Amino acid sequence: MSKTPNAQLSTSNVQLSGNASTSNVKNRTSNILRRIVDLIVAGVFIYAGAIKALDPVQFASDIDNYKIFPWPISVALAFYLPWLEIFCGFALVGRLLYRGALSILMALVLMFTLVTIAAKVRGLDITCGCFGHASQNWSFPSHLATNLGILAALVVLWVSNRSPKPL
Amino acid sequence: MRSSLIRQILILAALALIPGLGEAVYFRQKISWQSSIPPSELVTVDQARTWAGNVIWVDARPDEEFARDHVPGALSLNEDRWNELLPQFLAVWSPGKKVVVYCSSLSCNASREVARRLRKEAQLSDVFVLEGGWEAWFKKR
Repeated sequence: MSKTPNAQLSTSNVQLSGNASTSNVKNRTSNILRRIVDLIVAGVFIYAGAIKALDPVQFASDIDNYKIFPWPISVALAFYLPWLEIFCGFALVGRLLYRGALSILMALVLMFTLVTIAAKVRGLDITCGCFGHASQNWSFPSHLATNLGILAALVVLWVSNRSPKPL
Repeated sequence: MRSSLIRQILILAALALIPGLGEAVYFRQKISWQSSIPPSELVTVDQARTWAGNVIWVDARPDEEFARDHVPGALSLNEDRWNELLPQFLAVWSPGKKVVVYCSSLSCNASREVARRLRKEAQLSDVFVLEGGWEAWFKKR
């Protein structure tokens, strides 16, 4: 016995709504995952920024160890960079100025990675000032792996958030 | 879209300036903009010599350099063997003694780091960094 046109229509409607709900579940899962990555990355930068903002003297000394900038520039960066990390971290949490924060953080991590590699190439035995005393004994590979991991997470967030949120 | 991104970047960069400037004012006594070592923590060779017997010289250079030559009576205390050498230094140190730390030259960081750790970890006061390091002392000996 063949189905009536109405029955066929309702079957295809059920299939359509089934597909839509599967895609909704997928979207929701990917949104939740993205949000988790958002919060982890934000937490890393807020923590790293806060630790350095609490001891700018030590951070200035850590920057100076890289022997790239003159001392007054190291001091200025030691006062400024931690707060930039903190604000960008909160921007990720609140999803305000989101892409701006992602761009700044990607630029910062890229810069940190390049200066770390440059220091290694120049034979400088430096302590990583990234997370204050917690990271003082990090080896070069773990330092580099952390930076690349964070950079990868930032790139994932950038790519998966194509539509910018309005200010 | 690009202008919105640039605007976001500029807003964040400007926002971070506010607490950054506040912190610079708050820490103005604790950090010098001219030198990585505050003037009160630096000592010249001539000044250190006037302290004569009341000073402990600390050599923050690597072991090989210390073995080659050092200030007479100096103790080796470098970051490579910090845990091993610190007790030997503390056994010689007594309250009231001034500690003068030196490394190779004006541009080295080891003396600054060792001096910082002595102040912070060993809770010592009267810890100074020798201006010009071993080079300056060697020229004047």
